[in-house]
Amino acid sequence: MAECKGGGDRSPSSSMDSSTHPVLSTTSSGCRPARRDLSIDLHLGLSLSSASSLLAPDSKSIPSKPRNQVPLDWPPIKPFLKRTLTASARRRRTLFVKVYMEGVPIGRKLDLLLLDGYDSLLAKLCHMFKTSITYADVMEYHRRVPHEKAAYVLTYEDQDGDWMMVGDVPWEYVSSLPDKREETEDCKNG
Amino acid sequence: MGRGGSRAAPAAAMPPWHALPDEVWEHAFSFLPAASDRGAAAGACRSWLRAERRSRRRLSVANCYAASPQDAVERFPAVRAAEVKGKPHFADFGLVPPAWGAAAAPWVAAAADGWPLLEELSFKRMVVTDECLEMIAASFRNFQVLRLVSCEGFSTAGLAAIAAGCRNLRELDLQENEIEDCSIHWLSLFPESFTSLVTLNFSCLEGDVNINVLERLVTRCRNLKTLKLNNSIPLDKLASLLHKAPQIVELGTGRFSADYHPNLFEKLEAAFAGDGLAVSVSHLHKFHLNIETVNFQVMDLIEDHGLAVVASSCNKLQELRVFPSDPFDAAGQVSLTERGLVDVSASCPMLESVLYFCRRMTNEALIAIAKNRPNFTCFRLCIIEPHTPDYITHQPLDAGFSAIVESCKGLTRLSVSGLLTDHVFKSIGAHADRLEMLSIAFAGNSDLGLHYILSGCKSLKKLEIRDCPFGDKPLLANAAKLETMRSLWMSSCSLTLGACRQLARKMPRLSVEVMNDPERACPLDSLADETLIDKLYVYRTIAGPRSDTPACVQIV
Repeated sequence: MAECKGGGDRSPSSSMDSSTHPVLSTTSSGCRPARRDLSIDLHLGLSLSSASSLLAPDSKSIPSKPRNQVPLDWPPIKPFLKRTLTASARRRRTLFVKVYMEGVPIGRKLDLLLLDGYDSLLAKLCHMFKTSITYADVMEYHRRVPHEKAAYVLTYEDQDGDWMMVGDVPWEYVSSLPDKREETEDCKNG
Repeated sequence: MGRGGSRAAPAAAMPPWHALPDEVWEHAFSFLPAASDRGAAAGACRSWLRAERRSRRRLSVANCYAASPQDAVERFPAVRAAEVKGKPHFADFGLVPPAWGAAAAPWVAAAADGWPLLEELSFKRMVVTDECLEMIAASFRNFQVLRLVSCEGFSTAGLAAIAAGCRNLRELDLQENEIEDCSIHWLSLFPESFTSLVTLNFSCLEGDVNINVLERLVTRCRNLKTLKLNNSIPLDKLASLLHKAPQIVELGTGRFSADYHPNLFEKLEAAFAGDGLAVSVSHLHKFHLNIETVNFQVMDLIEDHGLAVVASSCNKLQELRVFPSDPFDAAGQVSLTERGLVDVSASCPMLESVLYFCRRMTNEALIAIAKNRPNFTCFRLCIIEPHTPDYITHQPLDAGFSAIVESCKGLTRLSVSGLLTDHVFKSIGAHADRLEMLSIAFAGNSDLGLHYILSGCKSLKKLEIRDCPFGDKPLLANAAKLETMRSLWMSSCSLTLGACRQLARKMPRLSVEVMNDPERACPLDSLADETLIDKLYVYRTIAGPRSDTPACVQIV
């Protein structure tokens, strides 16, 4: 299990949150939409060609004027609207978590705030990792499907360092408390 | 008919309608709602002029400097509803120097004097002070409607005066104003006996509003139909507010995006018993689009796929506005392209007004949009990076915009952008017969471009241009056209002071205002004809040169 999380280039998790609720983690820094972060994180370690094309500016775009040549009063947006838009854009919080599959050193990242519940999370992860995943009530799962092969189980590490099954904490708490943790998928014996 | 009578004809031979008293004509004119029709009638003969002007109830002064307030009050003594507009449109984007003018005070003073029965007052892009608002509250005993759009100069103290003083207020509509927050609880100054509100819009207010006071107000105003809140009201309180005020039909939440909130829309829909709640907020991730949605404003975070959803679900959509979430983000992380607009234009048959910010466009897309939606009346496309060509063919977007003006015969407002040559202006000049307002930025390659516009565009009223290579010649060659228009704005073009002087000499009924860099406030008289000017604002007026210009604005 530990090997998945290893790696010196992991960003330090420095949360001092004193919340008593173990929550899923985020590794993004605050409220700014971390879209640039996202693309860099996802593509580190992949083949160099795709990484470089993503880090370079879009080659299809028209060579644009350097920032200092385009006037400040362009594009034509009213100041009130400009303030509202930047406030709204900034206010869009993100809650990125890293997800690793056991045995695979390269993880995935997703924004929990784009999902609306554990079901969406599972669906998204099943799609990302192309496997079946279960959470919370594993016993239930195995009772329902007794002969099913061992599925992956979604777990996370809470602030005490304990590995917990995802799904017991109500989703509202999960999405409202920013904290820095990680999730791992784990194999469970069927 | 009204031909100036030949005095030789005996009285008996005159048609009987000549003898009709004014009241009959006044009644007849009451069936002409359009000011232009009334104006035409007034021009027919003296008796019609007298009857029309004395019975005019609604007056719209589209340029506060086109006539003096005294002129207006004298000519139309029976006005009950007045609308006055001030600064040029580009003032919205900071192009007009501060303290340029457009004070509402002279208008309020004249109205207080000459129109004591005034019921409605509307100011747009004007400087409205707290004193103005106090005077309004004190001067008109049957005041019902106050609408302030893109104004500045007042605070919550002025709003308090309105709340406390206007007993019969039906509408308080504050749109996009700069309002100073004096921490006065103006909302609580509506007396307990006050119940007449039908529309309340304070979406532009940046301060907090007491939710309990608001609840009591909306509860007792049983006729309240439209409520547009600011973003200080927590979204989760909205549902309970709606429960208390089921008479509300239109709700604005004062936001572009709802912070993630479980079941927000379900709760709102459950609270709202009526049909057709138009909630003007767009959730970033979920679209609870009412099939009745007529007006949709959203950030580009909706992306093309979101607009496809809009296209397929809102077939009653009339107006769409898509704003950039990050206007200065050159890399363009958001996937909003020409595709979104094409989809909406294809599937929304009633769509007639669009404001669309995007980063790329093609002629092909514009041609398709033009073909899909010949019923556009307002088409404003802003490609964020200036001079951006068709991103596939690398051609100018002349063909695309030409298609728009050729197909949309009823187009009254157009904003163009992207890489454009003089060619597109030839098409616009020739085909945009109903166009009243045209906005041009970073376009054209020579004087010809401006000449095409000024010599064509039969119905042109407002022309605003910035950062285009247009010079003196087309301006002087088409001087007469300027008197048929309301106003012309040109900034960062290639105009000389000499041309402005010539224009002013040639056209005495135009006011030619030249604005230069406030740092360089030396009197114009000392400058040579060849001096390039920064900003020009020309408008027709019967009031002569105004006397309230700041130092950086000079009338030539």
